[in-house]
Amino acid sequence: MKNTGNLLARALNLGLLAGAWLVVPGGERTEWWREWRAELWQGRREHECDGRVSWASERTLINFCLGAYQDALCLRRLNRRVRSAHRVRFGAAWQCITVLAVLLAASYTLMHVLPGVRAKRSLSQVATRSGLVLIKSVNNEDSLPTISSGQYRAWKNRKQEFFDGLAFYRITKENVSWQHYDSSRDRAGWGVARASSNFFTLLGFPVQFKDSASSSDADIPSLVLSERAWRREFGANPDIVGSQMMLGSLVARIVGVLPEGTLGLPGNVDAWLLESDSKAIPVGAGYVVAHLTDSGRSRMQSGSIQITSYAPYRSPDDLLGTSIQREFPSSRTVFLFAVMLALLALPAITSVSLAEYSVSLHEISWVRRVYRWSFLAAKIVLVLPIVYFGAIDVGYGFTGLDTIHAMYTQLALSVFGCLFGLSWALTDQLRRCPVCLERVAHPARVGQYSRTFLAWSGTEMMCTGGHTLLHVPALPTSWFSTQRWMFLDPSWKFLFADQVQD
Amino acid sequence: MAQGKNPDTKLSHTAAMILQALDAGFVYGFSIMEMTGLPSGTVYPAMRRLERDDLIRSQWEKQSIADAEQRPPRKYYKLTAAGRTTLESSRKRYPLLERLIPTDEERTV
Repeated sequence: MKNTGNLLARALNLGLLAGAWLVVPGGERTEWWREWRAELWQGRREHECDGRVSWASERTLINFCLGAYQDALCLRRLNRRVRSAHRVRFGAAWQCITVLAVLLAASYTLMHVLPGVRAKRSLSQVATRSGLVLIKSVNNEDSLPTISSGQYRAWKNRKQEFFDGLAFYRITKENVSWQHYDSSRDRAGWGVARASSNFFTLLGFPVQFKDSASSSDADIPSLVLSERAWRREFGANPDIVGSQMMLGSLVARIVGVLPEGTLGLPGNVDAWLLESDSKAIPVGAGYVVAHLTDSGRSRMQSGSIQITSYAPYRSPDDLLGTSIQREFPSSRTVFLFAVMLALLALPAITSVSLAEYSVSLHEISWVRRVYRWSFLAAKIVLVLPIVYFGAIDVGYGFTGLDTIHAMYTQLALSVFGCLFGLSWALTDQLRRCPVCLERVAHPARVGQYSRTFLAWSGTEMMCTGGHTLLHVPALPTSWFSTQRWMFLDPSWKFLFADQVQD
Repeated sequence: MAQGKNPDTKLSHTAAMILQALDAGFVYGFSIMEMTGLPSGTVYPAMRRLERDDLIRSQWEKQSIADAEQRPPRKYYKLTAAGRTTLESSRKRYPLLERLIPTDEERTV
């Protein structure tokens, strides 16, 4: 019984100490556990009499164990104070890299979250088929509609040597209306391209029209909105797809949205109305788009092909087929172009030279040199994708601009972002101690401007770790053209209480 | 790098008692607690601060000594020169300090 009580008391003491041990900061646990256990052991031995410990002594031991919690909390407080003291030491290299990494993660995450950017990424996979040409009269410099619907039908019904597919469209002005909107108040109306039903198939878009809800809907022609009209009139609402609208007296069903700039076709088009050939290829002049056969492609010269159309009882027509391939550069290409522009402009706004001279003969170890250059490289490597993702986020995600304007926005933001990002990376590097990579602080003006040419005049900054002093001349001269580092020897150490460990 | 405390620095009564206990030969945490009557949660943090200020120094005793006595090794604390000087000035500030914890010499007198 006596032994059982003794064991329970020991277990209680150890349990209490173990709890306190968990509160102690990680690095100091072993040390404190050893000390507490040794003292507890000693205390128990001193208070033991015939293998028994009196209740009063047991209370002393329990108080000792409970006191361990106060020790642990005190240690934790002290540790926190030390950590915060390190934290207020501004400009540490790891802080800089952490902030950049957080910015990178945020911009990357935004790119995947913002609907505009997601839509852009899915649209970027859309591209027109190769080998497409727009057929027009040779003398038609202004890309006016010159091909009549009759000509188109005649060509379509004949076997062609250079083409294996033809599509027709003609642009008309239509008053449009739908449930909450009536554009009859809008005098200009919409530019509606009334196209043959094979139009998008010929262009190579994998358009899958939604099945009609009922057989009565089957006859309703499909309408593809331009991105511009979709944003302008419907506020980029994706739920608009499937709804019906009136084009003059004709009912049409919206089946999709065409990304801005995807087609390099003439005409200001707000919507594409697809009608079966048998039904309604409207009378009048329009445009014909054709897909070239291999034979046709071999005849292409400088993006165009000369065609002669023969018709019975008529003189031959000389026509010209010009390529409509209009490839927009990808976001990556835009960014690389921006980087190139930024690199060209960089020397104009900042000194790209990292050449520095040391006042003393102190040589930095090669490990420090590698560390320093790696830090610069890491900053640049982080800044560039931040600018890339950030420009895409702003250009496509926040502005609600159409594809072309968003692309220009991305380009402008990328150029300025890269320019100032790279400039910051370089100037920041110039202000970091070569030994510990912390930013130098406490700038002090030394000398007088009037004595620039007689004596030294400039600014001195100090590494808070006590490694270096930085001299920056107020006015670069032939004998003091760039900043200089002075490495502090150990005799300076007493000035710096909290040394940064090398 | 810890800075040595100015010998003229005024210590709290608790810290002065701990220094006095160490000077009196009570070199282990538990024995300091018992001698001063201060709780564990006060003694150890105070000793840690004194150690940080270079007034005392701690050291683990040799494992062989502990093994010979069949007990775990203990950490003992010693006064540094700065600590001794500070204690001297504290005794002037707290005259009852020596009566509360007499040193070995005073005990034998």
